[in-house]
Amino acid sequence: MICRTAIRLAAATLLAAALAPAFAQDAPVKIGYAIARTGPWSAGAQLTQEPNYVMWAEGVNAAGGLNVKGKKRKVELVGFDDRSEAETVVRTYEKLMGSDKVDLILPPWGTGANFAVMPVIQKYGYPMIAPTATGRKLLGMKNPYFFAILQQPDLMMNALAEFLKARNVKTAAVIHVDELFGLEQASALEAAFKEKGIQVIEKKSYPLGVKDLKSVLNDIKAKNPDAFVALSYPPDTFLVTAQAREIAFNPKAFYASVGTAFPIYRDKLGPTVEGVMGLGTLNPKTSAAAKAYFDAHVARHKKEPDRWASAHAWAALQVMEQAVAKAGLDRKALRDAIASNEFDTVIGKVRFRNGENVSTPGVVSQWQSGEFEVVWPPDRATAPAMHPKPSWR
Amino acid sequence: MSFWAELAASGLITGGIYALVAMGLNLQYGLMRIMNISHGEFLMLGAYLTWLAYTVFGINPVAFLPAVALTLFIAGLLVYRLCFSRIARTSPSVEVIEARSLLVGFGLMYLVQNAAYLAWGADLRGYSFLADAIEIGGARFAANRLLAFGFAVAASLALLALLRWTMIGKAVRAMMQSPVGAQLVGIDTGVLHPLVFGAGLALAGVAGALLSMVYEITPGMGEPYTVTALIVITLGGLGSAAGCLVGGMLLGLVESFGMHFTSPSLKMLLSYGVFIGVLLARPRGLFAR
Repeated sequence: MICRTAIRLAAATLLAAALAPAFAQDAPVKIGYAIARTGPWSAGAQLTQEPNYVMWAEGVNAAGGLNVKGKKRKVELVGFDDRSEAETVVRTYEKLMGSDKVDLILPPWGTGANFAVMPVIQKYGYPMIAPTATGRKLLGMKNPYFFAILQQPDLMMNALAEFLKARNVKTAAVIHVDELFGLEQASALEAAFKEKGIQVIEKKSYPLGVKDLKSVLNDIKAKNPDAFVALSYPPDTFLVTAQAREIAFNPKAFYASVGTAFPIYRDKLGPTVEGVMGLGTLNPKTSAAAKAYFDAHVARHKKEPDRWASAHAWAALQVMEQAVAKAGLDRKALRDAIASNEFDTVIGKVRFRNGENVSTPGVVSQWQSGEFEVVWPPDRATAPAMHPKPSWR
Repeated sequence: MSFWAELAASGLITGGIYALVAMGLNLQYGLMRIMNISHGEFLMLGAYLTWLAYTVFGINPVAFLPAVALTLFIAGLLVYRLCFSRIARTSPSVEVIEARSLLVGFGLMYLVQNAAYLAWGADLRGYSFLADAIEIGGARFAANRLLAFGFAVAASLALLALLRWTMIGKAVRAMMQSPVGAQLVGIDTGVLHPLVFGAGLALAGVAGALLSMVYEITPGMGEPYTVTALIVITLGGLGSAAGCLVGGMLLGLVESFGMHFTSPSLKMLLSYGVFIGVLLARPRGLFAR
C-alpha cells in the first residue's frame, strides 16, 4: 500500500511538473481525501467512489478548471489510502485540514469512516457531502458541515414496503447483517411493514463474513413467505442469491441490499439475477444525463459504475462544483451555499434540509434482462415491475 | 432426505471447505513449523489465476486445477529458497523457526496482497461455474460446493495414506520429529523441506481455485481464510491430515446445527466455544499423538 501510494504520488508529481509551465497563472485548488485502496472497504470504495473523483477532476481540468466565483482554477486531488482503517481516516483528514490546509475535502467511503471523520470536519469547518453514508445516527449528530446525499434507510425501506403493498404482499421474511447498516435498515423496514400491514413471519440476523446461510434459507423456505428481504452486504448478497437458487427457494419477491446494484452481481451470477430486487437509484435509461454519466465512466475507467451510490458520488461532486462557483472557497460561505440552494445533478434536483437530501425519493430497482430497472416509485420507473419473480434460472 | 440428514450434509460440505482451506498450511506449519501467515494470500493467487484463465481464455476451471497446482508449487520452491531456507538452516530449534517464519510470513502477506491490488485493483471479481444444484435424496446441493468437498476429502485421505504408508511420508515425519536425526539416517532434508513447502503452497492454490467457483474474489480475501486455517489445524492436531478433515467438518456441523437452533449471529461464539472445549480436553488437538 505504501508502494502504491508512492507510485501514485510520483506519477502525480511528474505529471504536475510536466504541466506546471503551461498553467503557471494560479495555484491549483487542492482537494484532499482519504479512501480505501486496500483492505475490506476497497472493493466498494474503488467501485463507487474514487473513480468518480478522478474522472471529475480530469473533466474539470480539461474544461479549463474549476469555476471559483467566476475565476477558473485547476484542481489537484490529494488522495491517500486509508487502508480500510477508521483511525487512518481520522489521522489523514487531520493532516489534510490541519497541516496541509487543503482548500476542499471529499468524503471517505462508507458509513463507519464518515461517522469517524465527522467531529474533525466540524472542528476545522470543511463541508463534506457524503454519498456512501446512511443512517439516522449520523444525521442525529446535527453536524452543520455534514451533508448526506444518499437516501436514508427509512426512505428506501418505505419505498420497498409501498411497492410490496401495491402488489398485495401479505407476509415477509427478513434477514440482516449484524452491523450498524443492517440494524438500521431492519428497524426501518419493520416500522414500514407494520404501517403497511405486511406481517414479518421470520427475522434473523447473521454475522459479517458468513460463508453458508443454507440452513437459515431452508427454515425460511419452509414458512413460505410472499417476500424475502436480505439487508445484506456484498459478500452475503451474492451468497443468499446463490443459495436461494441452490435450494429452489423462489418467493414472489426477492430483495437483497448492498451489492445488487454492482455490475459484478449481474456478471458473476448471470441470468440467475433475473427478477431480483435491491437498492438502486437510476440506470442509463433514467435520463440523458444518466446515460452520459454511464458512458463517460465506461470510457474513462473501462468499467460501469454501480447503479446506486456511484451516481450519488457524482452528484455530490456536481453540488460541490456549483456551490464553489457561487460562494468560492470560503468554507463558511460554501457550507451555507450547499445548505440553502437547490442543485441540478445526475440524480435530479438535490436540496438539503438539516444535512439530508430531501429531493431524492426512496427507490426500488429490479434486474430485468441485464439492466437494473427502476420499478418504484412509478414516476421514476424505467420499466414495469416483474411480479411475481420468475423461477430461478 | 430427512431434515436432519440435510442439515448434517450442508454442515459437512461447509466443513469440507474449511478443511480444504487448512490443508496447505497444515503441511507447512503442522509438519515443518513454518508459520506461513501469508497462506491465504497464495490461496488468493490460486483464485485469481483460475478466474483469469476462465474469463480471459475460457479455460475450464476444473481442467485448470493441475496448472494452478504446478504454478504454485514452483512459486513455493522459489519462496522457500528466497525466504525460508536460511531460517530453516540457521535456527537452533523448531520454536525459533516458528517465530522467525512468522515475521517473514507477515512480510510476504503484505507483498503478495499489494501486488495483487496493483495488478487487478480492488474490485470484486467472480464467475459462475458449476453453480447448478444437484439433487441428492430430495435435498439440493450446489455442484461447486460438492466438488470442493469431494476434493477436500480425497486430498486428505491421500495425504493420510502418503504420510502413513510410504517412504516419503516416513521421511517427512522423521524430519519433523528430529531434523538432525533424519539427516543422520540419510534423509536429504535440503531437498525434502522445499518440496513439502511447495506442496503446501500448491494445496493453497488449488483451494483458492475451488473457492473462486463458489465465492467472489478480491485481493484482500486471503486473511480470513488464514485465520480459519489456523483454527482448523489447531483443532485437528498439528500435522495430522485426518485431524484437519475432522476439525473442519466439526466446525461445519457446529455452524449448521447451531445456526438452525440458535441464531446465525451466534456462529462465532459457537465455533470458538467448540474450539476452546476441544483444547481444554485435548490441548494438542483432536488427533495429536
